[in-house]
Amino acid sequence: MSQSTKQPNRLAAGGSVDRTRTLKFTFNGQAYTGHPGDTLASALLANGVDLVNRSFKYSRPRGIVAAGAEEPNAVMQLGASEATQVPNVRATQQALYDGLVAYSTNGWPDVQKDLMSWIGKLGAPFMPPGFYYKTFMAPASMWMTYEKYIRKTAGLGRSPSEPDPDIYDHMNRHCDVLVIGGGPAGLAAALSAARSGARVIVADEQEAMGGSLLDSRDRLDDQPAHAWVTTALEELAARDNVTLLTRTTANGYHDHNFVTLHERRTEHLADSAPTIEGRRQPRSRLHRVRAGQVVLATGTHERPLVYGNNDLPGNLLAGAVSTYIRRYGVIPGRKLVLTTSNDHAYRAALDWHEAGHEVVAIADAREAPEGELVEQARKHGIRVIAGSAIIEATGSKRVSGARVARIDRDGFKVVGPVETLDCDTIASSGGYSPVIHLASHTGARPTWNEEVLGFVPHTVKGVTTTGGARGVYPLADVLADGAEAGAVAATAMGFEVATEARHVPQATVVTEGAACALYQVPHEKPTLRAPKQFVDLQNDVTAAAIELATREGFESIEHVKRYTAMGFGTDQGKLGNINGMAIAARCLGKSIPEVGTTVFRPNYTPVTFGAVVGRHCRELFDPERYTAMHQWHVEHGAEFEDVGQWKRPWYYPRRVNGRLESMHEAVVRECRAVREHVGILDASTLGKIDIQGPGAREFLGRVYTNKWAKLAPGRVRYGLMCKDDGMVMDDGTTSCLGENHFLMTTTTGGAAAVLEWLEMWHQTEWPELDVYFTSVTDHWATMTVTGPEARKLLAEITDIDLDRESFKFMDWREGRVADVPARVFRISFTGELAFEINVQANYAMHVWKTLFEHGDKYGLTPYGTETMHVLRAEKGFIIAGQDTDGSVTPEDLGMHWAIGYDKPFPWIGKRALSRSDTRRTDRKQLVGLKPRNPEVVLQEGAQIVFDPQQTIPMTMVGHVTSSYYSPTLESGFALAVVKGGHQRMGETVYLPMVDGTIHEAEIVGTQFVDPEGARQNV
Amino acid sequence: MSDIRQFQTHPEVEIATESPLAYSRQRSGAPAITVSSQVMLRERPFQGHLTLRGGAIVLDEALRHVLGLSLPSQPHGLNHDDSGERSVQWLAPDEWLLIVPGGEEFSLETRLRDALGDAHVSIVDVSGGQTVIDIEGEMAHAVLMKFTHYDVDPTVFPVGKGVTTGFAKTSAILRRSSASRWELVVRRSFADYLYRWLLDAGEEYGIGVER
Repeated sequence: MSQSTKQPNRLAAGGSVDRTRTLKFTFNGQAYTGHPGDTLASALLANGVDLVNRSFKYSRPRGIVAAGAEEPNAVMQLGASEATQVPNVRATQQALYDGLVAYSTNGWPDVQKDLMSWIGKLGAPFMPPGFYYKTFMAPASMWMTYEKYIRKTAGLGRSPSEPDPDIYDHMNRHCDVLVIGGGPAGLAAALSAARSGARVIVADEQEAMGGSLLDSRDRLDDQPAHAWVTTALEELAARDNVTLLTRTTANGYHDHNFVTLHERRTEHLADSAPTIEGRRQPRSRLHRVRAGQVVLATGTHERPLVYGNNDLPGNLLAGAVSTYIRRYGVIPGRKLVLTTSNDHAYRAALDWHEAGHEVVAIADAREAPEGELVEQARKHGIRVIAGSAIIEATGSKRVSGARVARIDRDGFKVVGPVETLDCDTIASSGGYSPVIHLASHTGARPTWNEEVLGFVPHTVKGVTTTGGARGVYPLADVLADGAEAGAVAATAMGFEVATEARHVPQATVVTEGAACALYQVPHEKPTLRAPKQFVDLQNDVTAAAIELATREGFESIEHVKRYTAMGFGTDQGKLGNINGMAIAARCLGKSIPEVGTTVFRPNYTPVTFGAVVGRHCRELFDPERYTAMHQWHVEHGAEFEDVGQWKRPWYYPRRVNGRLESMHEAVVRECRAVREHVGILDASTLGKIDIQGPGAREFLGRVYTNKWAKLAPGRVRYGLMCKDDGMVMDDGTTSCLGENHFLMTTTTGGAAAVLEWLEMWHQTEWPELDVYFTSVTDHWATMTVTGPEARKLLAEITDIDLDRESFKFMDWREGRVADVPARVFRISFTGELAFEINVQANYAMHVWKTLFEHGDKYGLTPYGTETMHVLRAEKGFIIAGQDTDGSVTPEDLGMHWAIGYDKPFPWIGKRALSRSDTRRTDRKQLVGLKPRNPEVVLQEGAQIVFDPQQTIPMTMVGHVTSSYYSPTLESGFALAVVKGGHQRMGETVYLPMVDGTIHEAEIVGTQFVDPEGARQNV
Repeated sequence: MSDIRQFQTHPEVEIATESPLAYSRQRSGAPAITVSSQVMLRERPFQGHLTLRGGAIVLDEALRHVLGLSLPSQPHGLNHDDSGERSVQWLAPDEWLLIVPGGEEFSLETRLRDALGDAHVSIVDVSGGQTVIDIEGEMAHAVLMKFTHYDVDPTVFPVGKGVTTGFAKTSAILRRSSASRWELVVRRSFADYLYRWLLDAGEEYGIGVER
């Protein structure tokens, strides 16, 4: 076969790429071409690009090694613009598209001239394991500086500095059987499960399903293997009970068969998701799958052999060589030497030979290799050197030769003369490691299987492992095993699997000889002095590093891992872990199962943050709750405050002489309006709970500290709720609607918690009380009209008799407001005359607007939460959660009047209030503070001391809980908790500030305005 | 006053009402339904919503007597009357949601209370606090899978089933009233968030809103 001139390594035929169409792309600024069907890696190899990265620690030149998720070197930075940058994409998993822009993630200033490369050329001891810990730790303060440069030289990609233009989302899925892996085992499992009627999801990380069958030499039912893949996929796709997800990686296997699948939906099309008729579509999607049963058909990763300079570009996995030739029509060199411990890898040499290139030799570590593939190689005249292995690759930026020698595996030494073979490519295979990462996520420790020389997953409930993932390798066996696994899983979910449902195609049987155990290849020199023999290419961990770690006393494989970084990060030990364990075992004189394995963690391959976040970002980050009057607030320029998830108007700045009021100016104006005229507040957010039943009154008496026995219908009472520790939890008013019917209000933030609290006490402690609770928070819209003119305004639009004698303070009445049926409550949180109007929320906007139609002449002013806070604080009304913090009792608040110690049933918190600690007289108690300088507004949270002369650390005796400027007092004022404060009226306290100033304040009562309460009773 | 104070929320004269989604439609828009819309939304506001709590047997008897409608016999059940305009849904072992044409709720509550006599139950009008959003279309199911972790596969979520479940970062009632129609019963204050979420989730399927 001949090659295309533009892509020197592209074969004229073969593979599933579309040679009639050309795609352009750039790598490190250089323009190249490829074809649809290529991955970025196959296109780079087709173009003869050897050097794709610099290594993490030693900055050594690196090339493409693998063809799948296990690729350690070709980890790319993708994106044509700053906003579309994506780090850590494996070139082997990135489909080529027109206009793709890729860069190496490592290499500073560039991959060809790397400033750090001198480090890699120095002797091995220069950067031993623990190098950074040992070298850069002193002085400790400099670590941040060192780290910046270490990161830059050893980086693994970078985040974009501009907002991502794409969207990502989540989709929840359920199925009976989740099959992970769409190779021969996975497809067979999916077919048998699907044929039983079970709901099946098949996820495969590649561009197309089929796994190893896509580049297999095997035939199924006397057809090329990929033909059966097509048939199988057609059958699955035609079934309603099957979901096929390609380009979808099972990245994490969580508890209870909850598996997250990362589907890359548009990454194969462009670096930003194309729109469909102008509509956005998610770039990638995280499927959150709750599976009844999981079938792990994750196959194997081929293990490379560990020999000197095995990281030079031109060193590839044997299987990858086959994949590039057979699937992509790319041959990554001219002259190949294969070094292997098994028959299966001979396919690489056969494929290479059939592509018309020279196979220089096969170094087979076994004394007497036999088997059909070996015979085929010999028949083709390929030289097979038995009992030997490549001990070292030679070359600078690309392999130029292979040093082959006879080795004694048991004695771990070279036993014959070294022959140097001229070649540009080395394929190696040390056998196959079952891909057990997902099984490992479940917490199950794998067990070593000596027969297949690999760790296989431990059996866990709800999981069936099949095919290569459990060490079953011959294709005929894999298919049968897969069909059985699918049947087992479906049966476990209660489906009947007929015999014919397990039908699988007939595979040609290829007899293979036994493999031998070989991990690290001995060198003439001892490991510590031999050319670097890489175990983990991505993290630059060498055999010498592992040996050194064991010499330094790291015996546990988990410690060796952390000391050397083997299997860290995005790699998760896909290529190197078993070799590393084998080397540690050799150094420690133990067996591999004795050394054991490390734990693989999610994610299997990197998942973009966008997919993790999904749509829970920006305007959809968190729910925003709106009242029925929200639009009016927006249109009237309100600034909003978040109270829980509610958006409450904070203040309404007005434009005065072309300038928008500051918050202070607006709040002063709003406060004056309420104290002098009339204001209106949207109080709809307060929690409202409808309580019905003959046990309601008794129940209230048990959850509130005060008395409810005599509250008559038509009346309202303030209530204080404690936790069982006696600390104030929530407060609000509760109205008696009927003898067995009450309406409780809670704080805005406490509504859900209070309802749960009531239900909990009812269901667990007092089920004998006949009472039901139902939230009506959203049903009623609430508007507070308050101020001296409130009665006059309301009277204009209501049929309720507002006379002060018949509708008293703390009464409620029914009637019509603006023609709408309303309940009106005469309660006050401002200290002024106030009416709280409640109407069904769908009518609220009409009522609100009608109030404004009539309110102009009275100066009706909308006010927000800030003004509400000032006005209530002037009256000494607490806000639960601001003036209390879970450590404040009703007595600490001075609210003895709201405690019914003599109630017959011991209400929640009563017992706690008789504890010696809650009876102390030096507890922090709520008081008012009046700054000596009226212009000072104390800081909320500021600490209080009695003695300003005391040296630091000073004795702190309390803190400010609420502090505002009062337009009524024309002074700052505050609420605070102070030790023994109730007995310290008139005393001076001090508030030292960060800038050195010390404020003085006088302890006063908490009611700053109208302490007699005359204004609300008019 | 009686032991329980019922309240007629509706005025005797015509008054402008605003549905929970009135502002949302204005602010976030309501894309028109076209031939390529694979998901359609429709708000059915201003219905009467009553929360019933109490014992299943007495409530079932009263409901059958007053409306000719039985309480669902199973958890997660949803029953409709013959006209399809009235429904009752299981919410919890002692809690059901009754939805009837708007304006019926007050007299219905009265008749139910009469039928229930002294039985200890609670009937609460929550009509102002909830609205119903229908979701239809061939990709409706995909939108459901985006917002709820509940299994909404038609094989396990048949017509006549309803659940209270997670909706993105809040919750909603999800029910299936016919083979093609899913309904969300949402709280007024959360309605805007849900509406924006639905428009966003449905964008790729060409979502449209019935006006």
